[in-house]
Amino acid sequence: MRKKRSSGWIGSCALLCLFVAIHSGCKRTDSAAPAQQVLRISQRNEPADLDPATASLPDELFIIRALSEGLVAPAPDNRPSQPAAATSWEISPDLCTYTFHLRRNARWSNGEPVTAADFLASYRRVLTPATAAQKAPLLFMVKNARAFATGQLDNFQAVGFRAPDAHTLVVTLEQPQPRFLAYVASGPWIPVNPRVVAQFGRTWTRPAHFVGNGAFTLAEWQPHQRIVVRKNPAYHDAFRIRLDEIQFIAFDSGDTEERAFRAGQLDVTMAVPFSKLDPYRAEHRNELHHASLAETRYLAFNTTRAPLNDVRVRRALSLALDRAKLVDRVVHGGQEPAFRLVPAALRDGDDRETRLAGEIREDPATARQLLADAGFPGGRGFPRLELSSFVSTPVTEAIQAMWKTELGIDVALVTREARVHVAALREGRYDIGFITAIPDVADAANLLGDFTTGSPANYPHWSDPRYDELIARAAHTPDAALQAGRLREAEARLLAECPLAPLYFNATNWLMRPAVRGWHQDPLWTRFYQDVYLHED
Amino acid sequence: MLRFIARRVLETIPVLFIIVTATFFMIRFVPGGPFTAEKAVTPEVMRNLERAYHLDQPLWQQYANYLGRVIFHGDLGPSFKYPNRTVNEIIADKLPVSLELGLLSLAIALAVGLTLGVLAAVKRNTWIDYVCSSAAMIGICVPTFVLGPLLVLTFAIHFGWFNASGWYTPIDRVLPSLTLGCVYAAYVARLTRGGMLEVLNQDYIRTARAKGASETRVIFHHALRGGLLPVVSFLGPAIAGILTGSFVIETIFQIPGLGREFVNSAFNRDYTLVLGTVILYAALLIGLNLAVDVAQVWLNPKLKFE
Repeated sequence: MRKKRSSGWIGSCALLCLFVAIHSGCKRTDSAAPAQQVLRISQRNEPADLDPATASLPDELFIIRALSEGLVAPAPDNRPSQPAAATSWEISPDLCTYTFHLRRNARWSNGEPVTAADFLASYRRVLTPATAAQKAPLLFMVKNARAFATGQLDNFQAVGFRAPDAHTLVVTLEQPQPRFLAYVASGPWIPVNPRVVAQFGRTWTRPAHFVGNGAFTLAEWQPHQRIVVRKNPAYHDAFRIRLDEIQFIAFDSGDTEERAFRAGQLDVTMAVPFSKLDPYRAEHRNELHHASLAETRYLAFNTTRAPLNDVRVRRALSLALDRAKLVDRVVHGGQEPAFRLVPAALRDGDDRETRLAGEIREDPATARQLLADAGFPGGRGFPRLELSSFVSTPVTEAIQAMWKTELGIDVALVTREARVHVAALREGRYDIGFITAIPDVADAANLLGDFTTGSPANYPHWSDPRYDELIARAAHTPDAALQAGRLREAEARLLAECPLAPLYFNATNWLMRPAVRGWHQDPLWTRFYQDVYLHED
Repeated sequence: MLRFIARRVLETIPVLFIIVTATFFMIRFVPGGPFTAEKAVTPEVMRNLERAYHLDQPLWQQYANYLGRVIFHGDLGPSFKYPNRTVNEIIADKLPVSLELGLLSLAIALAVGLTLGVLAAVKRNTWIDYVCSSAAMIGICVPTFVLGPLLVLTFAIHFGWFNASGWYTPIDRVLPSLTLGCVYAAYVARLTRGGMLEVLNQDYIRTARAKGASETRVIFHHALRGGLLPVVSFLGPAIAGILTGSFVIETIFQIPGLGREFVNSAFNRDYTLVLGTVILYAALLIGLNLAVDVAQVWLNPKLKFE
């Protein structure tokens, strides 16, 4: 008995040693064989689904755009939308009817031909209320689309989509829209195979069922682990595609991702931890990449609350901010200071470089004067407002210090959980909120429209009839240049009334192995995999 | 003993019911819903979403439907965040990963912890005791989010023996299990040392020695049984914690376990997934506490099933 006990104890210790010994002797496994072109990309957010109709995040479209393509696709470097499933299109003289000609050799990954009827069925599905597509409004320019999506119209025949033959799709708009093709390039315009969706229901996006018309097919989806897509030989441009496989490897934490990159497990990361930016700048410049984004971080002022209902106070707060200093010393990730709301990527060519009349530039003297005019000379008597954020960031601390120094006012910093923060902004339960304006498509109207009366993203709860009218007039302007001019006018009005204070235009930094060639991404987070390949020196 | 267990199992039913009810209503009263986003959806889209997920029904009706589905069909419902998966599928997918990580860590914790603890107690106030006790103290003081990255930097990045993260091959299990196991090993070592020291001073140990039992038999047969009592009380909740996954370890090593789903479901306001994981965790915790009670009676003859 005695012997048995002690030998059991020693045995378990030996087993553990064996376990460690076996494993430490194992070679680590690398899934990428050298001859194969396998690109390993970090995927920060687990996609909720891979259904183009219901996708709402850029992270989902990173994968969906590899698997399927719409009529047209966004083009890199802010160029106009490029042909994808449609090879060409005609626009009627009244700018209300777009006729798309589909590729005759286009095939779904299961071999079926891609037809205009498939597009029709896909758009019907996006607009059907039961689908509950979050981005369905990106189709609302089409005649009667909104009525169908809200259930006021039952007959899809009345919606402005028509397929006169298998390779022609005619889209009729409610009114002329010069930027329509930018919308057609957006996520919900990407088709699905209606027969597959009907057969498998909500599980059609699983690897065993998935059918797409894109350059890659879905080979594996292990939730929160990795998604693997493989080259689709049936794709019309398959000869152009040099990657055999893309692995989207899940990483929730930026630090974990960076360690995996250093260990050679990743080719492209999603971001760079703030503390690692300078070391990479100094030592591995060739691995560090940077791109501007069409996102504007701003402070929303709750215009329904005193004293923020006074434009002088709002303007004073906005003018007191040194945005260049904020970007250079605090944010420090290559972001651009924002003296206006609309980022460069959403502006027309000639507007990209010029300054907008009424841009908000740092002017502490005027700010102090405005605050005094509003009844708070030197900040005296100014109530202690809350500056709330969804993340604890040095940006809000720097803003707090700038207001203290320049205006003599004190604000309290509050950090709330992300959805609690957004809900508070939505319901007007806040004073000043740190938030981001994100456009869905490359159209300034999409961003500026958020601040019209009653818009759900109008966090300042600001209502200005003049602004609403300028936005509505721009929407009814068929000429692109004229429309851009009207939108600039509206933006100037917004800046003059200061329901918000733009801070900086966001940017992204990421790490990429030098072997990755031909990588392109645009300011709306669209990635272009067609030209990517790996080349080891 | 069977009657004791049966009574305790029956007692869990109202406890679970209260937990489910409280969770159901509390998560609904948290500001922000599953479809709250910086780029707010339009009111017509929100109406469609609410209808599709039955959030337009009165709360009591949603609650009744949910309870009915769970009780009569064992169906925890579809996930709000991941529409192509059900909560049952997510749990079935993730729980084995957490269990595997937990069991490996537990094995390490017990093997290392018990060895250190017994050694320290038997060689009390010698250098062996000091080394073992210091190791345990360091283990308690160094948090997993420090130990994990340190192990990765050393063994994955510097020596290149392991992957820095992921959960693909058996070798990927080593670093995370070691990290999680070490922390628990430290607690087990301290508790074992304390328990053993107390028992080694008891009369019955002296009796055993006087009767001529060998030192090995005294320690492993007589002393360890009593010395383990504090460890066993600690193990109940610890095993529940270790088996249901660790948010920190799963994030550091990018392990697709249930711990992260649990935390993220709350952030995502994935109502059904929150409820599903809460039910599972509550049941596990109750079950393991019951197991601890049974084990304690078995280890300590002074206790009875009452």
